[in-house]
Amino acid sequence: MNTETLIPKVLITKVGFDGHDRGSRVVAAALRDAGMEVIYTPPWQEIANVVKLATEEDVDVIGISSLATDHLIVPKLMTALRAGGLGDVAVVVGGIVPDEDERMLLDAGVARVFHPGTALAEIAGFVREAAHGVRARRAHA
Amino acid sequence: MNKPLDNTLLGRPDPLAGLRDAHVRWQHDYADQIGTEREAVNRSGVAIKPLYTALDWDARTHAGLSAMPGQPPYTRGIYATMHRGRTWTQRQLIGLGTPQDYNARLLEVMAQGADAVSLIPCNSVFRGVDMDESHIELLGTCGTVVNTAEHMDRALQGVDLARTSCAMNDPSPFTLLAFMLAAARKRGTDWRAITGTSNQSDYLSHYVANHMFFRIALPGARRILGDHIAFCQQQVPKWNPMSVVGQHMQQAGATPAQAVAFTIATAIQNAQDCIERGMAPDDFLPRFTFFFDISISFFEEIAKFRAARRVWAAVARERLGARDPRSWRFKFHAQTSGIDLTRQQPLNNIARVTVQAIAGILGGLQSLHTDAYDEALSCPSEQGARIAVATQNILREEAHLTDVIDPLGGSYYVESLTDRMQAEIERVLAQVDDAGGMYRAVEAGLVQRMIGESARQFQRRIDSGEQTVVGVNAYRTEEDASARPINERPDRAAMQAHIDAFKAYKAGRSQGEVLRALDALARAAGDPKDNVFGRVIEAAQAGCTHGEIVATLRRELGFGHVQAMV
Amino acid sequence: MSPLPKGLLAGERQAVARSISRVEHGQAAAAALRTALAPHLGRAHVLGITGAPGAGKSTLVHALLGELLANGRRIGVVAVDPSSPISGGAVLGDRVRMGEHGAHPDVFIRSVASRGHLGGLSRTTGDIVDVFDAAGFDTVIVETVGAGQSEVEIVKVADTRIVACPPGLGDEVQAIKAGILEIADILVVTKSDLPGAQSTARDLKDMLHLRAAGADGDWTVPVLCTTASTGEGVAQLLARIDEHAAASGRGRRLAARAIAEGQAGEASQRVARLAITDPFVRLLGIEWVSGSEGAAAVRLVLRDEHLNFNGSCHGGVIFALADTAFGLASNSRGMLAAGIDAHITYQRAASAGDTLLARATEVSRTRRLAVYRVDVSDGDGRVISCFTGTVYLSTPRA
Repeated sequence: MNTETLIPKVLITKVGFDGHDRGSRVVAAALRDAGMEVIYTPPWQEIANVVKLATEEDVDVIGISSLATDHLIVPKLMTALRAGGLGDVAVVVGGIVPDEDERMLLDAGVARVFHPGTALAEIAGFVREAAHGVRARRAHA
Repeated sequence: MNKPLDNTLLGRPDPLAGLRDAHVRWQHDYADQIGTEREAVNRSGVAIKPLYTALDWDARTHAGLSAMPGQPPYTRGIYATMHRGRTWTQRQLIGLGTPQDYNARLLEVMAQGADAVSLIPCNSVFRGVDMDESHIELLGTCGTVVNTAEHMDRALQGVDLARTSCAMNDPSPFTLLAFMLAAARKRGTDWRAITGTSNQSDYLSHYVANHMFFRIALPGARRILGDHIAFCQQQVPKWNPMSVVGQHMQQAGATPAQAVAFTIATAIQNAQDCIERGMAPDDFLPRFTFFFDISISFFEEIAKFRAARRVWAAVARERLGARDPRSWRFKFHAQTSGIDLTRQQPLNNIARVTVQAIAGILGGLQSLHTDAYDEALSCPSEQGARIAVATQNILREEAHLTDVIDPLGGSYYVESLTDRMQAEIERVLAQVDDAGGMYRAVEAGLVQRMIGESARQFQRRIDSGEQTVVGVNAYRTEEDASARPINERPDRAAMQAHIDAFKAYKAGRSQGEVLRALDALARAAGDPKDNVFGRVIEAAQAGCTHGEIVATLRRELGFGHVQAMV
Repeated sequence: MSPLPKGLLAGERQAVARSISRVEHGQAAAAALRTALAPHLGRAHVLGITGAPGAGKSTLVHALLGELLANGRRIGVVAVDPSSPISGGAVLGDRVRMGEHGAHPDVFIRSVASRGHLGGLSRTTGDIVDVFDAAGFDTVIVETVGAGQSEVEIVKVADTRIVACPPGLGDEVQAIKAGILEIADILVVTKSDLPGAQSTARDLKDMLHLRAAGADGDWTVPVLCTTASTGEGVAQLLARIDEHAAASGRGRRLAARAIAEGQAGEASQRVARLAITDPFVRLLGIEWVSGSEGAAAVRLVLRDEHLNFNGSCHGGVIFALADTAFGLASNSRGMLAAGIDAHITYQRAASAGDTLLARATEVSRTRRLAVYRVDVSDGDGRVISCFTGTVYLSTPRA
């Protein structure tokens, strides 16, 4: 595969009602500085629109920032992604997620939950790996 | 040794000669023992020295010392008696679940000594979405789900609205206040007796720094605020319709001095808008209040508040032409800053909140909210809320912090720092003036850029370790999970019942009345002579829901989009 | 892999997205797709929107989307952003996705990063526009973030080119890059509720009189005023856009492409002919690889005769290889180009059996002088030598 094409494409967005986007902006900038292409949206995205966006931009990874309790509707997002033919896209959640909810998210298909204080390099590394995995699987499909 | 020329030339002895000599000796000793140090700078960029003496006071400081509390420029306090006459209002922010849940917690907290009410609505309410259009998982987790006047009435059951001060944390178009006024009318409570504050009336601060609260496009929000102030001045004269918020900006990364400057610039802008409507400054300025964050930069915060009082007194009097001393008084509510709290080792936050609270008290606030220690983790728990209230009681009644007015007045450091903070505030204020005032500066993105730069600088200091954050970049430990409190979630069944009741309510309303009221609201938005807030209250009384009211105004005046820049 | 993904011609969202990705991914896949798309092009009207940062382009695009949707169109948007020159990454699309139209089923927004080669981006953008065209979109909007020279290249991909100017430019109107006014089909003064809008419109109209008559001499470039935040002037803008489409716009990009390809073909043939007839090139065994306008590539497999007393490739051979590429590139347009200065650096050695590749590209060109840069790389793709040469240009050969 042409190595030039392996620039991971990542969607950073927020669903639900919370509007605090400082954290997601910091992560978006960090992923850009790590050489990735980031589609960054304002908060309050409807789940259906996240699926539309992810489809149109053909992203490899979706990063959901959740600081209040908005992560509780991420399972609905996972269902919508699968229904929309994007079941192979990797989804990560970052923010304030209580331990009991983390299990629930992983069971719903979320690839990883990042808690506050995680080094940005670690997030970038995981996202890059995940993106490579998504592309590799698609190439063989 | 340098002696001041003026006194020796005139043949008079230098009163500070002894001090100067002693100071030079101290400098030598200090340098011997410590060697060279990098100059420390506080969050506002003011240089901080290891020692302050009377030598740090200039003519301005000396002049300022004769200011008394209750006399302009109010450096030492806006009232002659300050907390001795009337202690600060203990107003805790509460919000969760259904109106019944809120009411239960409210009465509990008031029984423990809180003497004022504050209501935090659910995030769905902030976004202008009614509960029957939301995901149920997201309802009531961080605030109370109030969508109608009836819900507000239930939430405030057992509270005498004529006697208790209420703060509504609801941005434009202030539906929740409308609900409260509708409830008051139903109870027979005279609106003229009602006290409290529209806590989130500062639309500019929302656009800049707290997008969560920005519902309606800038020009529309500006119009509604003017209507709101005018209406309250006429019909709810004890209500503070204008709370100018420095908290959002400081939490977004503005330095303390910038937060004060931007806030005062916003107050100037809003005052000028009112004057343009034909109101006289003394009609509305006495009901302008301010709302600030208190960071853990202890002395800086105290100096910031003292300087703010001075700057505002001059602005109100000289720039805005106010003649009533009540217009010159810088009244403010303050909240301990959540930004300084950490998720790691959360119990440490109790210590942090205590330090922040002391700074606010010594800074002369009128009203205080102390954060719960678990505020950084999620919405505060009952235990956290209790400790937060107890902290205030301890500071007042065990540490006796209110026994002396402005106890740090006369401190070499605090007086000198007050002057420096004032200079910095005025410098930033001038920049906003040059940009054409706060509305223009915000439209052009200038304020946002300045805040962004300050935020980046502060983050660099933390990332480099220059600024320690205990438990995060220093003094780390293995986390003890048992110290993490369990998150409260509203009871799902109770919330579903709340939604079902709401749907039934909507179906059972007089649809004709509702439509007429929404139509009148829409027309008012297009008619500069009509008062939009007055129509919001009528809509509330006609049974319209919060979502319906907000949707109507968004349609007529524009949806509040914000720029999300990385 | 079949050239056309299933569902593309029907306009299925995922098929369109994956086709665009294929175009972005690399030359082989893109070339195959390009050929397969060719018969299905010509229905979409392509708008290019450019202007200085701060000119209010994204607000204008948003308002235009609303107007187009109200007119029942299906719209594809290509939003182009520069990649970070340091990290190679980018943050994309945030300005275009501000409004609510992005969620409309008849709107498809694709964000594209420059990836460090804005010159090549116009090719990719052109391919993406073709995907939208083949997928049945009525209108395609190409929007770039700035108005530098490279962004002007990107906008050339469009049928109707719109340049947005903020009001109150004053003296800066003079500073607007000449290239932009040359290509504009419609000029829009944005935020026209602000003071200075009317005088800016007048200044622009004056400047238009100075520009040379364009290829479509029938079209008079209008200067419009819009206030996108209220929607004022946007309906009129769409009316003019449709007028331009009918007059000369629609399909113009395809016609221009055919001409350019023709020219490229000519250049390639010319370079090949020159290479074959050069005696010294034949002596050394240099082979021609490719040629186009202002560019050429040649190759040499190193034999023992090419080595020096150290057993590595003689510097003169490397110089000759680079100089050959230089000569071919500078003569590719048919003007007589005589080398007047050349210098070379040697970074690495090469040995017998290595294959060296020399690629020449044009760095600058005026009426009389042109400068070329040649990189010589070895079989592993490492650059072993850099060459710079200047030529003096004179009248074409008979």
